[in-house]
Amino acid sequence: MISFVKLFKLTVIAMVGLTLSTRAAEAPQRIDVKKLSKRVDDVVVPLPNEVFGALNKLGGVNWKEYVRSGKGSNFTERPRIALLLGTVIADGFIAVQAEDAPTVKDIGQRVLGLAKGIGVGNSITPHAKAITEAADKRNWNGVRQELDRTQNSVQQAMNEVHDEKLSHLVSLGGWLRGTEVLTAVVNKRYSEDGAELLHQPDLLTYFEDRLRAMPEFNLKLLQDIQAALGEVRPLIDVGEARISAQSVKRINEITTRLDEAIVTKAQ
Amino acid sequence: MPALFKQTTRVILPVAILLATLAVLGASVDDAQSFALQAAEPYVKEGFQVREDYWGGDLASGEPKAVKQQLFKGNEYWFWLGTEVEKASVSVHIYDSEGKLVEQPDSWQKGHFAGAHIIPPSTGTYFIIVKIEQSPEERTHWALVYGFR
Repeated sequence: MISFVKLFKLTVIAMVGLTLSTRAAEAPQRIDVKKLSKRVDDVVVPLPNEVFGALNKLGGVNWKEYVRSGKGSNFTERPRIALLLGTVIADGFIAVQAEDAPTVKDIGQRVLGLAKGIGVGNSITPHAKAITEAADKRNWNGVRQELDRTQNSVQQAMNEVHDEKLSHLVSLGGWLRGTEVLTAVVNKRYSEDGAELLHQPDLLTYFEDRLRAMPEFNLKLLQDIQAALGEVRPLIDVGEARISAQSVKRINEITTRLDEAIVTKAQ
Repeated sequence: MPALFKQTTRVILPVAILLATLAVLGASVDDAQSFALQAAEPYVKEGFQVREDYWGGDLASGEPKAVKQQLFKGNEYWFWLGTEVEKASVSVHIYDSEGKLVEQPDSWQKGHFAGAHIIPPSTGTYFIIVKIEQSPEERTHWALVYGFR
């Protein structure tokens, strides 16, 4: 026969054990992020439509104003094609926001042409076809998915042939065009929530690091972008403070200037 | 002839082993991705757009891995983690840049699948912490995908 005291002790031990095992499965409420330094993967570059989606929820965006469908220049330098490709894919997301089917289809073809120029056309052909089909059906979520697949396929194809640096330039081109449009929208109708979407200091660091690691490209445009990112940093890396209307305007001027340089030939 | 055979073997064998290892490794991470996508499937019907890109690798049990992620206030995100090792259990959690747990209470952990949900309180960098809680394997492949709406 087990005594009451023994039974009590066993119950306490069992309860403590049970609590500890439950706690072991629970996530800690706080962690020391500095201790993670060696185990952290690079920041993930969001798609332009992630920021457009958040912006859209703030209301009142006339996306048609930002649609761009011009054929643009043709380049022979692969880094320039990569930057332009990222910009054009971002334009695709803008055309989807505007629900502009003809422009979406043009952009699908333009992306295919640029991908061919950079030697990864084969992986894009089915996506360009799918973009056209989805645009014809006005299946906007389908187009968004195909644009994402397009960018992913382009970058995978580049990575497979060890052109990771070009792959980073595709992301950079998309980010610059996305930031240009984000700041244009917020500049038109300033709100703190809209400006807060620019709070992306780690992405800025990511792109600065990538640009520093490609001196072999030796392009004035890349040097200009690198210098411009340095100008943008103090405007968005403001900690808990809000990003001012003046800063939004300035970032818009900088990104507009860079975008013009990316899409036009004089560089 | 034996010398030539020996030399050829010396060159070809390591390459063959490397290729075989890479093939196995690639297949496993791809398998892990298909499980992560399987976890994401029900959420697509709820309007979440799942990114094509994914993050993956292999981890020992108990070893955490962090992925930095830029999230935007106004969006809603789910992160899904999966592994092909069915007897493993995995977890994924979301912390803000200060290290505070910020995921929604409906985040879940179910054997070799896990999901973490966040409605970001502010725009900025977040840490997605993935962990193989238990596994019969020495190292377990994992893949993380995310979706937003």
